[in-house]
Amino acid sequence: MIVSVLNKHLISATILLAFAFSLLTLPGCGSNKKENEIVIWHNMRPEEKNVIQEQLDEFMKLHPGIKVIQLYKETEEMRSGYIVAAIGGEGPELIYGPSDQVGPFTEMEIIKPLETVFSQEYFSDYNKDALIYTNNSLWMIADKLGNHLTLVYNKDLLPVPPKTEKELIESGMKLTKDFNNDGRTDQYGLVWNYTEPYFFVPFLTGFGGWVLDSLNQPTLNTPAMVAGLKFIQDLRDKYKIIPNEADYDIADVLFKEGKAAMIINGDWSWSSYGNAGINYGISTLPYITVSGHYATPMVAPKGYSINVNVDDEKLAKVRMLLEFLLSSEKQLETSLEVKTFPSRTELYNDPRLLNDEILLNSKKQIEQGRALPIVTEMRAIWDAMRPSYQAVLGGAITPEKAAQLMQEDAVKKIREMREDVDNPVWGLIVQVLMLLIVLAALFFTRKSIVAFFRSFKKNTFAYFLVLPALVIMIAVVLYPFIYNIILSFSNMSLSHIHDWKITGFEQYAKVFVEPQFYEFFLKTLIWTFSNITFHVVIGVTLALLLNKKLPGTGIFRTLLILPWAVPQYIVALTWRGMFNYEYGAINLILVKFLSMSPVEWLKSPTEAFMAIIITNIWLGFPFMMIIALGALQSIPQELYEAADLDGARWFNKLKTITIPLIKPVMIPAITLGIIWTFNNINVVWLVSNAGEPSDKTHILVSFVYKAAFNLYRYGYAAAFSVVIFLILFAFGMTFLKRTKATESVY
Amino acid sequence: MNKKKFLANFLTYIFLIVFTVIALYPIINVFTISIRPDDRLLSTSLSIIPEGATFKQYIELFTNRPFLLWVWNSAIVSFVVTVTGVALASTAGYALSRFQFIGKQVSMLGLLTTQMFPATMLLLPMYIMLIKLQLINSYLGIIIVYSATALPFCVWQMKGYYDTIPFSLEESARIDGCTKWQSFYKIILPLAAPALVITALFSFMTAWSEYIVAAQVLQDTDLYTLPLGLKSFQSNLTTEWGLYAAAALVVSIPVVILFIILSKWLVSGLTLGSVKG
Repeated sequence: MIVSVLNKHLISATILLAFAFSLLTLPGCGSNKKENEIVIWHNMRPEEKNVIQEQLDEFMKLHPGIKVIQLYKETEEMRSGYIVAAIGGEGPELIYGPSDQVGPFTEMEIIKPLETVFSQEYFSDYNKDALIYTNNSLWMIADKLGNHLTLVYNKDLLPVPPKTEKELIESGMKLTKDFNNDGRTDQYGLVWNYTEPYFFVPFLTGFGGWVLDSLNQPTLNTPAMVAGLKFIQDLRDKYKIIPNEADYDIADVLFKEGKAAMIINGDWSWSSYGNAGINYGISTLPYITVSGHYATPMVAPKGYSINVNVDDEKLAKVRMLLEFLLSSEKQLETSLEVKTFPSRTELYNDPRLLNDEILLNSKKQIEQGRALPIVTEMRAIWDAMRPSYQAVLGGAITPEKAAQLMQEDAVKKIREMREDVDNPVWGLIVQVLMLLIVLAALFFTRKSIVAFFRSFKKNTFAYFLVLPALVIMIAVVLYPFIYNIILSFSNMSLSHIHDWKITGFEQYAKVFVEPQFYEFFLKTLIWTFSNITFHVVIGVTLALLLNKKLPGTGIFRTLLILPWAVPQYIVALTWRGMFNYEYGAINLILVKFLSMSPVEWLKSPTEAFMAIIITNIWLGFPFMMIIALGALQSIPQELYEAADLDGARWFNKLKTITIPLIKPVMIPAITLGIIWTFNNINVVWLVSNAGEPSDKTHILVSFVYKAAFNLYRYGYAAAFSVVIFLILFAFGMTFLKRTKATESVY
Repeated sequence: MNKKKFLANFLTYIFLIVFTVIALYPIINVFTISIRPDDRLLSTSLSIIPEGATFKQYIELFTNRPFLLWVWNSAIVSFVVTVTGVALASTAGYALSRFQFIGKQVSMLGLLTTQMFPATMLLLPMYIMLIKLQLINSYLGIIIVYSATALPFCVWQMKGYYDTIPFSLEESARIDGCTKWQSFYKIILPLAAPALVITALFSFMTAWSEYIVAAQVLQDTDLYTLPLGLKSFQSNLTTEWGLYAAAALVVSIPVVILFIILSKWLVSGLTLGSVKG
């Protein structure tokens, strides 16, 4: 019986395989560089995307020979993706985004200077802030000015917006209410994503401070910074007009639900408040009377740059497209539709713009604003401000201390980013060493290689079975591996993207002197082992229960795999919401059903770390459950029956029959589970919002991503990765030796 | 005895129910997001059915977005990766379980070590390599990468399962006149059905949910797979959460269906015991 069923299966399998391979050949053949295609990468929000798509459709109708594709990418991903693609000689023809991306792109020489593409008079009509120059070359032409924060207020709660910080506090206190007197605030005077440095900047400028001086050196340790930090603290602790814990989404939702009278948010958000039924108005941020400055946001033009890899023939088409998209007519269309501010000065007196209350107030705020610096140093500034700022909010350090730490950290990060190691002697030594290692490896394995070819004949069948899988693995992995190992000995960084060379062991030395390395290594160990322990214990327990084949277990089995089936991204963010202090389900359960006090999950490092572990346990147990369920099938029922006859207790059966017999299947899953968890950046990133609070909630991979990759320190990042690899390799060897997993059981 | 058994079963159900509730609660939250009228990820209320609940996101998804195209694209890619994964892992795992040959230990360890390098660092060289091989904007490129991602686990897992099947089975098959290949696919492979199910599910999920490589390799919107499509609902600070949530739930349905179909072989046990006995 089995045999005939199998034959049928085999036939269908063969057909499937044939089908599969015919599929493989199909889409692979098309050429990928199309002559008449222009691709734009951008980070526009949905409404903007709709507008540009309509404009592109119009353009394509006018020029039937050209196909334009717009692709949305999240800002950070767009940048790293573009860098990778452009270095590889590919990438979109146009890249659209905020002006600060020009900094790294020009240093890496992956965008074209534009003054040669357009004639000088073409630029005469542009707002000068919309033309992004560095080093006497033009790199970006903006079609929108803005990306700026303003004060948004709910007209139903607050008819007249505050003009000064005193009025802000006054109306804030009036509007922060506990309607039912249960000790919980039901309506806030003011909310915003104040834990994020970008959203703090208005209060740095409001007290007369700024982030960089004219030499691009950080200016964070100033009285203005201290005053700004104290002001935020006071809003929260003294006047109590802002929530205790607020990230972007919480602030957003409070304002949308009418539970906050004011929100500080950017031009991207306004229309969504209208859509949510809020009668909102826009006002400039308050004047700070004690300092005599306006609280001013950063203003960033958004515009287009051209990929350096675009050839001359295509450049003409790209120019045509840009002239079309940047024309006054199209800019006006966009402005009226999505409330952004145009870059063509001839539009500034257009009645259609002047009559729009939102655009008018937005313009006032832009005129007060300060341009976001486009130098790459800004990345280091943000990364340096965030941890200390959040530590002040968490009460761990004083504003004075924070200002000092921010400055030191920023100086250090900029130095690291700019660091240029060049050591020809060591470079040569490393190259010789590499060569020697390769030769030695060949020499010492020469007997095995000969033996391999000899045994090939004897063991043809085994090789025939195992080689296809190995060949695919080697093909995919070998080159990236070697590339990274070489990179880890190199000086590849922001200023050496194309001309990097092997310089020696500096990058490794830096990994081990990094004081946080050991802290995050410990955290990674805790993270990995708590996750895997819970995955295995929960997974195996559930599998044992499901395997009892009671009525209804089929339904449970299916429901229990759902955490694995639903895309991780959204459930991880849902979990983040569930951990919210005031509104999250977890605290509500703790308080209502278990009579415990609520936990500030996301505000302190330990609790935030627990939160990411809990989320990942939830995400990972179904997988172990499925594997354990499969493993349990290999145990002959007779063994249990025999044990029952001997009167064995369930615990004994578990210990002597179940565990030893599922071990061969579980060990590979556990080994790989440990490796994957060790390097699992996603959940950490999403739930802790990239390491918050204060960059304490990291494991090694998320740390290397943030501290090295983000600052374009590729050589260092590669060395760090090789260290991670070696740690896992050492672990893997010991673990396998202990469990004897590479050997057969029978 | 009966009373004891009843109690045991009762506790089993309690435990299963508690875990099912824990497993489902966050997903129910996702469902709530998907029927909320305005795009909001969070809410200050805990009610499952929000005020003004609507299914317009689901309708939008199927009528105004190329959602079905993404499903189709992902289905093709995942299907090919699954077939490749099952075919290559079942054979390689068998060789590693049953035969002694030179390079066996090295290949097993080699498979493991490929998983140890942080993936973010491999992206740049992998991309450069795919450009050189002209595999950008093609499914062939990502299918090979996905297969390579799925294979180490699948091979090890198959090998582990074969290890639990006694050698004596093949020996008696060989005595009965089977060739090596016949005794593999006729006797051993069907007994490894649960492991094949796991291999298939894992390969499928690898391809079904992968985002990072796809985002770098597939630039043509007509080739978009589901994760890329889903991501297009997202934007920096203004994500279309309703659509995203609706799509996320719809996307999990094929996985669940596949699991329901395959679980017949996952838990049937195909009477391994009786063959052994």
